[in-house]
Amino acid sequence: MTEGHARHDRHTVALMGNPNTGKSSLFSALTGTRQKVANFPGVTVEAKIGTARFENSELTIIDLPGTYSLAARSPDERVATDALLGRIDGTAKPDGVIIVLDASSLDRNLYLGTQVLEFGLPAVVALTMVDVAESRGITVDVKKLSEVLGVPVVEINAPKGRGIDELKSTLHRTLHHPGKVLELEYSEDFLRGVDTLHEKLCDLGVKLGFKPARPEALRLLVDGAGPFFDDCEAVGGEEFVNTFFEIRERASAGRSLSMIEAQARYGTIGKWMQEVKQTEAREGRTKTDVVDGILTHKFWGSLVFVLVMGLIFQSIYSWSGPLMDLIDGGFGALGDWVGGMMADGALKSLVVDGIIAGVGGVLIFLPQILVLFLFIAILEDLGYMARAAFLMDRLMSRFGLNGRSFIPMLSGFACAIPAIMGTRVIEDRNTRLTTIFLAPFMSCSARLPVYVLFIAAFVPEMKVLGFIELQGLVLFAMYWVGVLAAIPTALVLKKGILKSKVTPFLLELPSYKTPRVKAVARTLWERAGSFVKRAGTIILAVSVLVWAAGYFPHSQSVDDTYDAEIASVEAEYPEAVVNFNPEEDDESLLAQFKAIDDAHEERVAALEEEGAEDLEEATAESKKQRNAEMAKLSGKSRLAADALNDYASWKTLQEQRGDVENRRAGEHLEESFLGQAGHAIAPAVAPLGWDWRIGMAAIASFPAREVIVATLGTIFNLGSDQDEESDSLRDVIKDAKRADGTPLFTLATGLSIMVFFALCAQCAATLAVMRRETNSWKWPIASFLYMTTLAYFASLVTYQVAHALGA
Amino acid sequence: MSSSTLDKLPVGASARVQDVSGDPALQQRLLEMGVLPGTEVTVVRFAPLGDPMEIKVMGYSLSLRRSEAAHVSVEVAS
Repeated sequence: MTEGHARHDRHTVALMGNPNTGKSSLFSALTGTRQKVANFPGVTVEAKIGTARFENSELTIIDLPGTYSLAARSPDERVATDALLGRIDGTAKPDGVIIVLDASSLDRNLYLGTQVLEFGLPAVVALTMVDVAESRGITVDVKKLSEVLGVPVVEINAPKGRGIDELKSTLHRTLHHPGKVLELEYSEDFLRGVDTLHEKLCDLGVKLGFKPARPEALRLLVDGAGPFFDDCEAVGGEEFVNTFFEIRERASAGRSLSMIEAQARYGTIGKWMQEVKQTEAREGRTKTDVVDGILTHKFWGSLVFVLVMGLIFQSIYSWSGPLMDLIDGGFGALGDWVGGMMADGALKSLVVDGIIAGVGGVLIFLPQILVLFLFIAILEDLGYMARAAFLMDRLMSRFGLNGRSFIPMLSGFACAIPAIMGTRVIEDRNTRLTTIFLAPFMSCSARLPVYVLFIAAFVPEMKVLGFIELQGLVLFAMYWVGVLAAIPTALVLKKGILKSKVTPFLLELPSYKTPRVKAVARTLWERAGSFVKRAGTIILAVSVLVWAAGYFPHSQSVDDTYDAEIASVEAEYPEAVVNFNPEEDDESLLAQFKAIDDAHEERVAALEEEGAEDLEEATAESKKQRNAEMAKLSGKSRLAADALNDYASWKTLQEQRGDVENRRAGEHLEESFLGQAGHAIAPAVAPLGWDWRIGMAAIASFPAREVIVATLGTIFNLGSDQDEESDSLRDVIKDAKRADGTPLFTLATGLSIMVFFALCAQCAATLAVMRRETNSWKWPIASFLYMTTLAYFASLVTYQVAHALGA
Repeated sequence: MSSSTLDKLPVGASARVQDVSGDPALQQRLLEMGVLPGTEVTVVRFAPLGDPMEIKVMGYSLSLRRSEAAHVSVEVAS
């Protein structure tokens, strides 16, 4: 074989089949790790593209989404047809097709099979699940199947690697011969309808921008409505529509066209099966039947379901916590380390507060994503996801969703990011979009810091009805705010905007299989990679933008004022105190006193950490020890006694310096673009009981809700290292005053902020993932506008009502 | 022989499909999934909340809502 030949021997092959047929394992077996995700414009589904090698040839394989039929009622369902015809930009027209058929339900699998064979592409059938079929007493005659279909059939077992080489070589041979169009026995009227419509479509061809294929005419004839019809109507106008319905009228001869198609296909398939398939009645129930008897049982099934869902929720909500803390702490330490090596200024702030914090803000979501997808991948592979949907459909259908929406919605209570990514288990496009839109309404863990801060500060510690903690009750109510807002939203969305009728929820309950570690690992790897690459960049960009808005203009005059203040404070202390730098000095007497003091503080921190019962006593004990050690050291010499005094002065100086720095940061923030924005929106948020500082903190929390806590810390001159448990922050917001001297924060303001954060879309990561999953900016923008408006008015009502009641 | 609709069959009952109606999208989905005149269907169970239902058709298990099954008229062999 010459080099020239080898270079030309490249082919593109589409991989098609029903869901649950082992299509993905076949794709992996063919392509190994050489695969990437292909995004199709305008649709929410994606395909994987990989390369397989056979001798000197290279095969590009497009793994199309699993489907039961080529009928296209939504743009997502049209992808398969478009891909087969090479109509997708950036994806080559396939030279052939691999049709995956599950031997254990061959009849139904062949429905799609006959549709694909009508395209006349060179085709090879990969027959999977032969062992499952045999265990049910079904034997398939491979040679006969090949004869009736008119294409080669190769029996494969992808997980075990059997038949893969034979499939490749068969494919290689087949691709060098033209394919054959499968002709089914339709009625005369029907065939005439297809041909007439095909001619009409060809006339429209120029305006459509492509030459319509005959199988497309068949699809349009039968499907009637759908994206292809919309395209034709757009270019053909009323004249086309009228002719179209006349053609349908004549082709149907009074019957349903779907019925004509289905009967022609299943009629032929039935005849084939008499030759191809032998079924031997088996005694007893299959393994799947036995397992299903338990897992979908009224009592046991519900119990297992509750346990599994509890486990999933618990894992995302708490068990991913340690990993998240590790990432959080790691990036904090990295920021400190890098910051320590850089000179103060805009660049340092950009690197530490913008980039490092931003990357940390992206990776922090990985544990929850990985944990959720670990469960989804295992349960999907096992076959339990379909059962979970079966169990929950009744409940979810009341809100216009379906059973598949349950797990994403549940995950939303931990974090909307994995929840939105998890909606890819929902086949129906409208239901999936609705679920994506609703998931951020579930009260996620990032809202908790906001609730904790304001509940602890403003909700009195008292009991209602003698035993219910009021604080706990308010927290519980906050969780309901989102759910209560989601329900009407769901109904409006489904009926109003998506205008979908109740979509059919026909769900195959596949036979149970053992999950494969490799497949699960691959899913996790893909999900993590796709999140970091596609959503991560947006999240990082937003973090840097918001950092810049909060940093600039950073005027020198502010710095000059505070530098002067520091200088005047330092002037009151001896030089030794001012110049003492514990990081460079660990030998001087000052440093020794500091070491004694630090040891005491470490002991107290350790005591607090372990939650010692006698905390106060133990602290006093430690303090005594410290004082004794200090006295011992200072008693040694006159010099040492002076040093103790200096150490005390140094501690006071540090506090004064910290106070000046915090005020400096506060003023920089106030005069920053963010601060200016806060002032600008102040009149708009005044009816919510907010002043410019709260308004600014709300804007600053756009990258993530919990940022409000640190922003409030900065603006109230406490520094940014505040958390929701911090006493000083709690105290300072209690004391904060408005310009007229009245308290800024009251119970009414606290409630208004909490309600706002329960409903708002202040989470750049959610919006980025929404963009990623819907493949369009339309949805995240709609979500942001809707949630922000809703949050504003809910917060307004909350404040006004609470305020009127005297809260 | 008696006529009924699929949603009204008790667990364990088998029947032959006579006709499939409903709005075009539902009808088409049912037909594609193998629920078409002449096929035999068996009711396996109802979900714990009473809906949807699981049937066996063409050798596999299919879940569908009762409101959807109501569009499938069947003939029960007695």
